[in-house]
Amino acid sequence: MDSPIEIMMILLVLSDMALLGLSRLRTCISIVSFQGMLLGGLALVTQFGSLTPRLIMIAAASFVIKGFVFPYLLKRGIREAGTLHESEPFIGYITSVLAGVAMLGISLWLGARLPLFAAGSGNYLVVPAALTTLFTGLFLIIARRNALNQCLGYIIMENGIYTFGIFSVVEIPLLVELGILLDVFVAVFVMGIAIYHINREFDHLDSHRLNVLKG
Amino acid sequence: MNYEIVLWLLILIPAISGLICVLAPSPKVALGMMCTCVFSTALLGFSAIGAVLLHGKILFAAANWLFMDALSAYNLFVMIIVFCLSSIYACVYFQQELLHNNLTLKQIRQFTSLWCGAMAAMTVVLISNNLGIMWVGIEATTLITAFLICIHVSRESLEAMWKYILICSVGVAFAFMGTLLAAASAKSVGLGSHNALLWTTLRDNAASLNPVFIKAAFIFLLVGYGTKAGLAPMHSWLPDAHSQAPAPVSAIFSGFMLNAALYCIMRYVPIVETATGHTGWGLKFLVGFGIFSIIVAAAFITFQKDLKRLLAYHSIEHLGIIALGFGLGGLGTFAALFHTFNHSLCKTLSFFAAGRLGQIFGGSHDMEKMSGSLPVSPVWSIGIFCSILALIGIAPFALFMSEFQLVKAAVDSHAWVVLSLFLLGAGLVFVGALGHAIPLVWGTNHESRKPVKANFFEAFLVFAPLAVLLVLGLWMPKPLFTALNSAASIIGIASSVTSSGVGP
Repeated sequence: MDSPIEIMMILLVLSDMALLGLSRLRTCISIVSFQGMLLGGLALVTQFGSLTPRLIMIAAASFVIKGFVFPYLLKRGIREAGTLHESEPFIGYITSVLAGVAMLGISLWLGARLPLFAAGSGNYLVVPAALTTLFTGLFLIIARRNALNQCLGYIIMENGIYTFGIFSVVEIPLLVELGILLDVFVAVFVMGIAIYHINREFDHLDSHRLNVLKG
Repeated sequence: MNYEIVLWLLILIPAISGLICVLAPSPKVALGMMCTCVFSTALLGFSAIGAVLLHGKILFAAANWLFMDALSAYNLFVMIIVFCLSSIYACVYFQQELLHNNLTLKQIRQFTSLWCGAMAAMTVVLISNNLGIMWVGIEATTLITAFLICIHVSRESLEAMWKYILICSVGVAFAFMGTLLAAASAKSVGLGSHNALLWTTLRDNAASLNPVFIKAAFIFLLVGYGTKAGLAPMHSWLPDAHSQAPAPVSAIFSGFMLNAALYCIMRYVPIVETATGHTGWGLKFLVGFGIFSIIVAAAFITFQKDLKRLLAYHSIEHLGIIALGFGLGGLGTFAALFHTFNHSLCKTLSFFAAGRLGQIFGGSHDMEKMSGSLPVSPVWSIGIFCSILALIGIAPFALFMSEFQLVKAAVDSHAWVVLSLFLLGAGLVFVGALGHAIPLVWGTNHESRKPVKANFFEAFLVFAPLAVLLVLGLWMPKPLFTALNSAASIIGIASSVTSSGVGP
């Protein structure tokens, strides 16, 4: 029962590391889509003994939205903008991966301090993996210049929080959960529209060059 | 009167009107529908607020998911005032843009629809008892208002919008993590799925929440909602968004959206204080963020060139003052709540004036180009000058009174370092802003412009808020005093009631 969760958590952390080290946007989007599907499955695996319609619905919604709708929207963004690579990130790829390892270390330390699960259970990897994903998302938002990459960072952050939510708070009412999912969905959608406008107005997606407003 | 339906209608009327506004056949109809929506919601809202604040009721609806106590009623009151004034102003403001053909029907539809939507989302924040729904409301305000910033699509407005949406979404995601941690802290209490996130349940069980989790939760919540509230150092989106948005939008941003985010933090304060044993653990963070915001804002105000950015930094300063007041507790809480109303009213007026003067001076908000505005537009010049005077705390205005109470609260609690930093910041702002305001109104302008007449509505929008601020500075009506007291007691109640109830 515990081992599939452990494997999933390890896959989650590995996908974070891959995201930190890759420059091709298309590959990054595929990995984020993989994360989304993983999390959809995770919701089912945690409560395998007692599946409720509510749980299946949430898992399916997040599976479809994060696994298919977001990647579709983002890949369309790439086509429109014609950017395939992140150009000159603020922090290089090797340094990013090293930072990722450091974030994993911090997350393990923090996870040990937040006594969410009894010491013996196999879920001890959950909080560190969730926090690593959260930090990875945040790191990508800061370290990458491309607006699409920052949008990806936001989704990854949200994935981390979602992982944490599945385990720590199973009791959130359906309505709240759907509201949250809807908000995240609309947030990415709004970012997509913003990216579309930025691309049309500026002919690039380099957020570092959005620097007229100062002081 | 059935208040359960009233609470529902407060959300549904603006939400549905928002959808209808998309179909408006002409700009006049769209603006008319928007005003009808805002004013009918206001009437309903006042009836509910009256029941709560004057008759001491607490309203519940939707199986306790919606509720209104004195704190939400007071904040809703501020919100409704800001929205009513801003809606009238929006008509005046966009009438001018329509005259100069700066605005298409599509843009005005977009504006009115999002405006009503923003009102619905902020109401959701204020009257939801469920902390998850409250978060959904805050995130919804971010998403809805993002497009209000770039009603006029330009490079600057897109830049402002991108920064706004990215920084605020990330911030609010942190707040979501905090909400989850707060729910996790209740795990040991054994609350059912329906109750786990209800504010009333969490408050009642606050003493038995897990302190480690609730502390972690509060840090995340403070950073998250603090980003949306524009507290320094998470404020970097604020001056850009405020300066690029059309003036009516800046007015609701500054007049209420920031307060709505701070309101969310306020909801958690009594829970955190009780769970950590009334040691003031959470309050000192509020004091820290408050003071830092005041100092940062003071530094930027001194060297500001753009009028709307100047006002945006004033918002950071005043939100800092409000956070500081809450952090001091006791009389400070009272002062902070009073300051909320004063600041919202004054800031809406100042953004009205800045926007209208900007239109008169050809769309620029550069204070150098706008100098000597008194002969050009006496009404709006008086508006901007008096509102800046009020903002920096000149004596007869109400903002002076609330800041004075705050100083008293600081003296009472012997917070000398805090007090001196606050006075330093306020002094810097005083000198800096006055140095901008005097040339703005009385300076000499090299371009000669024809005087622009103001109509009745414009004069009303300037003088009504000023009169209210003046009256409140000299005399506080009894109902307002009771309302402030009962709202303050909700934030501070944990310390007085539960501390006696918890002991063995």
